[in-house]
Amino acid sequence: MLEIKNLKASINNKEILKGVDISIQPGELHAIMGPNGSGKSTLANVLSGKDGYEVSGELKYQGKDLINIPIDERAQKGIFLAFQYPTEIPGVNTNNFLKTSLNKIKKARGEKEMDTLSFIKMIKEKSNELGMNENMLSRQLNVGFSGGEKKKNEILQMKILNPNLAILDETDSGLDIDALKTVAKGVNSTRDKNKSFLVITHYQRLLNYIKPDFVHVLADGKIIKSGSMELAEQLEKTGYKGIN
Amino acid sequence: MLDFKPNEKEIEKIGKFSIEEKNFRIENLKNFNSVGFPNKLVEDWKFSDLRHIVSKNFAKLDLKLKPSKEENFDFIKDFEHNYIVLVNGRLTSNSFQHEDNSQIVINPYLNKDFSNKKEKNPLINLNYALSIEGFNLEVKDNYKFNKVLVIYNLFTKDLNENILNSQNRIKIGKNSELHVFDYVINKSEKNFFNNVYEDLYLAESSVFKNISIQKNRSNGFFHKFSKNILSSKSNYSSFIFPLGLKFDKLDLEFNLEGENIECNLQAASFLNKGDHQEIKTRVNHLAPNCKSYQKVKNVIDLDSKGVYQGKIFVKNIAQKTDAYQLSKAILLDESSEFDSKPELEIYADDVKCSHGSTSGSVEKDSIYYLMTRGLSKNESVKLLINGFLSEIIVSIKSKTMKNFIEQKLLSQIYEH
Ligand SMILES: Nc1ncnc2c1ncn2[C@@H]1O[C@H](COP(=O)(O)OP(=O)(O)OP(=O)(O)O)[C@@H](O)[C@H]1O
Ligand SMILES: [Mg+2]
Repeated sequence: MLEIKNLKASINNKEILKGVDISIQPGELHAIMGPNGSGKSTLANVLSGKDGYEVSGELKYQGKDLINIPIDERAQKGIFLAFQYPTEIPGVNTNNFLKTSLNKIKKARGEKEMDTLSFIKMIKEKSNELGMNENMLSRQLNVGFSGGEKKKNEILQMKILNPNLAILDETDSGLDIDALKTVAKGVNSTRDKNKSFLVITHYQRLLNYIKPDFVHVLADGKIIKSGSMELAEQLEKTGYKGIN
Repeated sequence: MLDFKPNEKEIEKIGKFSIEEKNFRIENLKNFNSVGFPNKLVEDWKFSDLRHIVSKNFAKLDLKLKPSKEENFDFIKDFEHNYIVLVNGRLTSNSFQHEDNSQIVINPYLNKDFSNKKEKNPLINLNYALSIEGFNLEVKDNYKFNKVLVIYNLFTKDLNENILNSQNRIKIGKNSELHVFDYVINKSEKNFFNNVYEDLYLAESSVFKNISIQKNRSNGFFHKFSKNILSSKSNYSSFIFPLGLKFDKLDLEFNLEGENIECNLQAASFLNKGDHQEIKTRVNHLAPNCKSYQKVKNVIDLDSKGVYQGKIFVKNIAQKTDAYQLSKAILLDESSEFDSKPELEIYADDVKCSHGSTSGSVEKDSIYYLMTRGLSKNESVKLLINGFLSEIIVSIKSKTMKNFIEQKLLSQIYEH
């Protein structure tokens, strides 16, 4: 699904990713942990195609080179990023945005666009599954949403857009215990043998619910250790200093 | 360089006037001719160098007065309405079929008040000197309109570097209410200049609501001076959506002469292809306990310019004044420009006045977010622009109007 080899990324001549290697097969869920400022969000941004980075190394998605593909095309090809800090967009109605986005992606996949009625029905169902009040979706996109509501809105988008590769950047941070479970359920319900996840988190708690296949530790722009769930448990006890 | 100095004989061509009126016109013509179109050295015109704009775009300015016939145009079908039709500024027809006609006076109009001898604005001088009849509309006391009044402002195909001067007046009686939808339809393929002087008088406890919009892009160069006198407990609100005008300057003066007046002005425009749009306001708080609110939003694309000059004046007796003024602009290109000059002049001590102005480009983070959801850069920008401007549309109460305006504004944005 995703091959990352010796990936380096700099911004304003500052090197942030210093040679990252990760390989994700279809159906796998990988977790990335690591200290603040180690480059986790940068990695997520580079994977989704954000401008402004000087990128080198190898980045292959479904066997094809990704580096020169623009952001919107990556999304259309099935890469989804749930933001650590979802952007507030005044004046843009959440429902309209969701529908525009979904139909754009459906169109790119050669699927039939969704009419308003079926869309409303679908969105109602999916938002209720996440314990979201669907009235929220008639508000401006993320404007005035609480921290947790923003995160749920990201997961809602993930469920609607049905990506092949979902990158979740600290989606669990700022969620209450019940919301965390709901979000984990949201992730688990979309897992199947064709879909892959890259989950960035600081806490083992989320991983208890979603059971990663691999856990990587990113420190100072490099993967310093990879392992199974036990690595996350060890980290919880010793902290990042206990590694290496 | 275009040398536009109309001769006194032009006044005679307009009509037969009393000695007093003739002298008034001659005096104003002299004033205009002594200074000509204002350039940027004149403070009120520092962001809109009209002399330069006129000489760049006109080889001549024709004062031809041959009345144009009403051309075919499509009436609005989206909502029931009364209407008046102005052809090149002249009143040609009207219908108040939804109203009690005994409560309404409508007739051609020329200003007969010759007391203003010291007018300094050359565009008003020009209008005073050469104006033809526009319309006069009076609503008697205690009459609330059942349906909106659409003013169809039609500019005809045969216009070719003409300059049109006209005057209008609206007077709303005590406790009366009128909603106006100002709709500009342009058929001219050549440049023309339209210079309007307008008086609005709101008597006690009357309500006036206005929405202005263009049907299509236009080769028109527009200047309008509008003097609004508001009496106590009256309520004025105006939503302006200037679209696709090569030049447009709205110079609006409000005199809040009684207590408990509400005055609300909002504008949203999308400027591109070299459009130049200025809104200049002067709100005079002359009595206590009044509220004024102004919000102007511009999205400015290629080679276009938006200007907002807003002055709030608060007289010493105008305590408890609540005055608000905000302008915001999004610049889409290096060649886009937004200038704003907010001014407060306050002589009362117990007042709440605030003003602010921001301009910048579209938020990069917002574009990034939308693109990660599959929207192209162009689509993302359009969605953001639409979101930015729709904040003004959202505050229009009537749903039909809201939809109508939204469609018009969106089609402008999506065309670009
Ligand atoms: N535009 C930028 N210019 C300069 N430095 C930047 C820029 N963006 C990010 N950085 C730096 O890059 C480093 C990595 O940032 P990043 O956001 O990827 O960290 P992170 O691992 O996601 O941290 P956290 O756990 O706090 O979310 C930080 O030191 C950050 O200050
Ligand atoms: Mg981060």
